[in-house]
Amino acid sequence: RMEASCLELALEGERLCKAGDCRAGVSFFEAAVQVGTEDLKTLSAIYSQLGNAYFYLHEYAKALEYHHHDLTLARTIGDLLGEAKASGNLGNTLKVLGNFEEAIVCCQRHLDISRELNDKVGEARALYNLGNVYHSKGKNVASAGTHDPGELPDDVKSALQKAANYYEENLTIVTELGDRAAQGRAFGNLGNTHYLLGNFRSAVLAHEQRLLIAKEFGDRSAERRAYSNLGNAYIFLGEFETASEYYKRTLQLARQLKDRAVEAQACYSLGNTYTLLQDYEKAIDYHLKHLVIAQELSDKIGEGRACWSLGNAYTALGNHDQAMHFAERHLEISREVGDRSGELTARLNLSDLQMVLGLSYSTNNSMMSESHVVDNNLNGTRPRVGRRHSMENMELMKLTPEKVQNWN
Amino acid sequence: SQPLAGRQAAELQSKVVPSKQILHSDNMEMEPETMETKSVTDYFSKLHMGSLVYSCTSKRKSK
Repeated sequence: RMEASCLELALEGERLCKAGDCRAGVSFFEAAVQVGTEDLKTLSAIYSQLGNAYFYLHEYAKALEYHHHDLTLARTIGDLLGEAKASGNLGNTLKVLGNFEEAIVCCQRHLDISRELNDKVGEARALYNLGNVYHSKGKNVASAGTHDPGELPDDVKSALQKAANYYEENLTIVTELGDRAAQGRAFGNLGNTHYLLGNFRSAVLAHEQRLLIAKEFGDRSAERRAYSNLGNAYIFLGEFETASEYYKRTLQLARQLKDRAVEAQACYSLGNTYTLLQDYEKAIDYHLKHLVIAQELSDKIGEGRACWSLGNAYTALGNHDQAMHFAERHLEISREVGDRSGELTARLNLSDLQMVLGLSYSTNNSMMSESHVVDNNLNGTRPRVGRRHSMENMELMKLTPEKVQNWN
Repeated sequence: SQPLAGRQAAELQSKVVPSKQILHSDNMEMEPETMETKSVTDYFSKLHMGSLVYSCTSKRKSK
């Protein structure tokens, strides 16, 4: 009677998770564990699903715990396929937690067992997971590094290159298997890896494939991701017009999908792209749209970025009053969120603006030469590093400094 | 002195907005992870299938 009850609870948990209600599913699975079962394979399946449910709920410590239980159990009962699956899931969870070395060991175990069992589907999935771990590892090392923008550090480059190799290997198998959905995922992440490596042409080719497959499946989220990634790559190819076209499609889809955060991101990207095109009116238009959504979502960091961007764009147009307004707002928000370097950037922008305003009211030559001295001083003391770190999402600039330099 | 002042202002202006400061939002969009799945019914469906196969073969044998 108790056995049936554990199974019933687990089946209800499965049904709820499949229906997308992981939170409710977790309660049923945990109840099933409480009731308990003699059947270790059933218990292993419950642990595995609990782990996955917690993973989707972003509770990774819990996910880790249950996938670890599952792995131990699978080994105890000598279930090799079960061990492979548990290792893969544990690997993915360790990756998210930033434990890359252990994640690699687990994903490698998934791969080894799949090969041993001649399980092509499992092998392909393990290769994809390994690619993901190396991609995250590379990105993580790059953003944690204190190095100045320059060459890609060797460890970053080598991790990203490994990721690309794993994605390529995965692509060979899933192409043989005719699994288009898996091809789509591999192309997307391969594209992003090429992008970080600075191979922007290759990135475009991969994302174009991703786009094609997304359209085949009518997967509008994947389509939107592809547009956004294509936009990013074209920015670094210096083809800003093309980039703006892709970002506009991203924006269109974000609106259709009613995803305000993504809509804000698209507006921000468009604002920056029009800044690069030196069309400051349009840049301001998009940055304002971004600002409104950031406020709506109570995203203070986003709001600060919007104010900073708007301050710069209004300065470029010579509208110093508006520029001052947004620089002041940027300073306020930076203080509020405790962003020290943002605060410093805002102060520098404000002092620059005050100088410009001071100059425009001055007809006195000596005043000008005074300002010149101040300006030299500013250049000397300007903490460039501080400005750099005040920017969000700096990986790209650190990773691809040559291209960034070419913008000037 | 006006044009001079103007030029100075323009120089300052370009320092306020050097193109390096134009931050491209590097929001890379990754594909989702794939998790391996298990189900409590996996085991039972296999058991069930096993017994079906058994009953079919035993029926055939008995014929």
